[in-house]
Amino acid sequence: MKGLMNYFPGDTFLHRMDPRSKILFSLLICIACFVTNDLYVLLGVFVLDLLIGVFGGIFKQALKLLKGLLKIAVFLFILQALVVCTGEPAFYIGKLAITWDGLKTALLGVLRLIDITLPLALMISLTRMSDLSNAMVSRWHVPYKYAFAVTSAIRFIPVFTTDLNGIMEAQTARGVEFDTRNFFKKVGLIVPLCVPLLISSVKKIETAAMAVELRGFNLRTKDSSSKVAKFRLPDYLLLLLGLGLIVLTVLL
Amino acid sequence: MIQMKEFSFQYASGKRPALKDIDLEIRPGDFVGVIGNSGAGKTTLTYAINGIIPHYYPGDFYGSVLVDGMDTVETKPEQLAGKVGSVFQDVDAQMVASYVEDELLFGLENFGVPKDEIEGRLQEALQRTGISDLRYREIESLSGGQKQKVAVAAIIALRPDVIVLDEPTGELDPESSEQIFRLLKSLNETYGTTIVVVEQKVGLLCGYAKRLVLLDQGRIVMEGPVREVLKSADRMEEIGIHVPRVVSLYKELVRKDLFHGAAPIHTAEAEKMMQEVLS
Ligand SMILES: Nc1ncnc2c1ncn2[C@@H]1O[C@H](COP(=O)(O)OP(=O)(O)OP(=O)(O)O)[C@@H](O)[C@H]1O
Ligand SMILES: [Mg+2]
Repeated sequence: MKGLMNYFPGDTFLHRMDPRSKILFSLLICIACFVTNDLYVLLGVFVLDLLIGVFGGIFKQALKLLKGLLKIAVFLFILQALVVCTGEPAFYIGKLAITWDGLKTALLGVLRLIDITLPLALMISLTRMSDLSNAMVSRWHVPYKYAFAVTSAIRFIPVFTTDLNGIMEAQTARGVEFDTRNFFKKVGLIVPLCVPLLISSVKKIETAAMAVELRGFNLRTKDSSSKVAKFRLPDYLLLLLGLGLIVLTVLL
Repeated sequence: MIQMKEFSFQYASGKRPALKDIDLEIRPGDFVGVIGNSGAGKTTLTYAINGIIPHYYPGDFYGSVLVDGMDTVETKPEQLAGKVGSVFQDVDAQMVASYVEDELLFGLENFGVPKDEIEGRLQEALQRTGISDLRYREIESLSGGQKQKVAVAAIIALRPDVIVLDEPTGELDPESSEQIFRLLKSLNETYGTTIVVVEQKVGLLCGYAKRLVLLDQGRIVMEGPVREVLKSADRMEEIGIHVPRVVSLYKELVRKDLFHGAAPIHTAEAEKMMQEVLS
């Protein structure tokens, strides 16, 4: 969760682009990948994903995401290779024929999975949550209340984690051993802590709600934001690229 | 600026009143320090000023609280918020944004500060709190003290007539605590901002506040100019408040009939007192 949604600060042209075009571009790529059955298009998109990583200065992060996807990819590959049994057999496992068709479908499936996941994950790593919510509110007229609720929920995760760690440390000091290997035992130890965590969280949220209202939350309108998202040349180019990709997949 | 008349409040879930028979007048430009033991009702007093009571916490509300002539019971909290800026006890919980800059922008944008004025106000608030270098930092990555400064900066950027602060130096080292109080003092002097601040460190408070309010079990036991209140240092010690050491010394000297002047507040005054006694 943490690695996936984390923002990686930087000042590349991808960082500076309008959050909306980044999200739209990712969605366009998703659509293109769903529509196409062409191996080369999918490979091309894969290269594009890596390029996003390079230009955004988060290539390492991209590789990490890839590594995370690897397990699911391998599983998917084997599953599809086994299930599809039309076409020429490539080789046999015992009596089971693995066909060229099966291998191709499996490869397409895996590439598609990666191509669909990476762009959105990478673009989100290049976009500040607050900029995205600002743009959504002022341009797409998403109600500010909802945008704020989502960003606040994400923001409070580390606060609560710190709280939980504090409670666990206090319990450890009293002799509770959390570093047990037994998964069920560990869960059994952590669950009771949820009560004090819940109480402190509710209190925090209460204060947060008051603080937010006393700073004029209810007076805010969609035009309040002083940072106005704006489409510039790179944004149009990026969207053009995404649209071009869709046209290409339809033509092929 | 703030008038409380026969004001009492009991939280709906409370067993006894958190504040009882409060009569308090705070004039424009006052700098009031609120002291008292844990549970004395200090936070509740700040809640009464910014309208959290009775608007967020239901309970039995008696008497009246007026802020700049507005009855807090009848005024919407966000309307009151244009007058009264609040810094809460829990630093983490009062943050609304992930970045320092956005934290300051939030209030400025909400209250409709003209867009061409926002940048100037933002820079001034950051500079006054001494955190200009933190502008683009993630709040999550700051220390408790730095967060506290951000909270104060976010409020002073709004330039309210009254600022209420609940233990704003709770997580600060002595030097940063002094810095916050110097800032409050300069706001108080340059803009005439009325300051109401809850503070545990009585010694620190006495160096800056003009008046003190001492709460005990929901009642005001003492109220007045700092020097007046300090004269009853014995009473404070009885209640369990830590009296500044110079004041204890002063009481001792007065008791032994060695000194007759006013109670010292700053180190310079203490020095003068000692010179007088020794000569
Ligand atoms: N939300 C609440 N519901 C019920 N009772 C409350 C609530 N908040 C505070 N009280 C009670 O009101 C009394 C005054 O509390 P308050 O928080 O104002 O004290 P305080 O002087 O700020 O203490 P501290 O120094 O610990 O912050 C206490 O007896 C407390 O138990
Ligand atoms: Mg308190």
